[in-house]
Amino acid sequence: MNHRNLQRNDRLREQLAAGYVLGTLKGGARRRFERWLAVDQLINQSVTRWESRLGPLAEFTRPIEPPARVWQGIEQQLRFHATPAQAPAWRRLHSSLSFWRGLGLAASALAAVLATVLVLQPQPQGPAPSPTSVAMLAADNGQTVVAVSGDAKRITVRVVSVAQVAADRSLELWAVPTQGAPQSLGLLSENGAVTLALPENVTPQTMPVLAVSLEPKGGSPNPHAPSGPILYKGAWLRI
Amino acid sequence: MSAADPQQTQMKAWLVAVAQRDATAFRELYEATSPKLFGFLQRILQRSEWAEEVLQESYVNIWNNAGKYEPALAAPMTWMTTIARNKAFDALRRHDAAVEIDADGFAQEVAQALESSAPSPLAMLELSEDAAALAHCLRRMEALHRQAIALAYYHDLSHGEVAAQLELPVGTVKTWIRRGLERLRSCLSKQELA
Repeated sequence: MNHRNLQRNDRLREQLAAGYVLGTLKGGARRRFERWLAVDQLINQSVTRWESRLGPLAEFTRPIEPPARVWQGIEQQLRFHATPAQAPAWRRLHSSLSFWRGLGLAASALAAVLATVLVLQPQPQGPAPSPTSVAMLAADNGQTVVAVSGDAKRITVRVVSVAQVAADRSLELWAVPTQGAPQSLGLLSENGAVTLALPENVTPQTMPVLAVSLEPKGGSPNPHAPSGPILYKGAWLRI
Repeated sequence: MSAADPQQTQMKAWLVAVAQRDATAFRELYEATSPKLFGFLQRILQRSEWAEEVLQESYVNIWNNAGKYEPALAAPMTWMTTIARNKAFDALRRHDAAVEIDADGFAQEVAQALESSAPSPLAMLELSEDAAALAHCLRRMEALHRQAIALAYYHDLSHGEVAAQLELPVGTVKTWIRRGLERLRSCLSKQELA
């Protein structure tokens, strides 16, 4: 068994993912599977689905009220009483900007590959000029979820993975500058691609990071700050 | 995963707030979910003090990682039980402990849970929609196949260890578990469409 077999063979992939989640996949086979899991989106999705299928097994035991000392221990460990008010989500995103700058060089090679892939895919709105900017937005676990390509006037945003958003929620795309408030670029379509016009001041130079937040239906009430959590983010690069 | 379950919607809202460091939402989430996780951990660990220790570790981890929770991909309870279960197995390895496996007691609990998902009998447990769907599918499976899967899930057992528990050849157990999981998958996907 090797990684390629697993990519080709749905049945085998499902079997191993199920064994991984159930726990019967052990030892060397488990470690090997974990390495593939870290890099392979199909395997990752398969494992997530098995976790959803088998996770409710945990609910079949009788609930037991834990003693009060458990909560006290949690409170102590997290130092709740000493915690100052927290910065909003987009400020915390800023604080990780230096990480994205460091990533820039390594990402451009990847970006070139991505640009090729995007150009080869059929464009939803007629032939588009070749892209001059790209971004891949990933979840914190590293899984790429949204691919972006664009020119100076507009960008096309493609949701790569099959994630579903609750009916009363929307995904909103933001351009994040190195200083100052983020700017909303519009709402994403859950499946397929959406093309969004770019305001004039929004370029990869002025706004080096793109981010997607989970918002109430229709988007954040504030056009200059996400109201919900940042789900995906990534460096926005000129190519 | 059902998006319409109001219990789930509430838990998702709490987790999203927890990701933004909302301690009040965290407390509410703890109140609502800790009895289930504690019952689950006691079943795995069999010792109350270890279950307490792991419960605390799990919620600290939930607080610290709520930002990584993706509401679109996993039910909140599934995400939290995955954390608790991994922590429990870590603790067993750390204590280098083998717990006594009470296969019969477990079978009874599962049987109870299965009954409670039937339309009429008194619900012993407040099952989420996902759990009710799983219960429905497990009920349609042969009891021994179901037990083999549950033993592996709750006790981190290998095929060989499940076989030893059930006093059956390992090949038989392997086949049962594989077929059981396949049936579970197809049954659950039919439920989703229903």
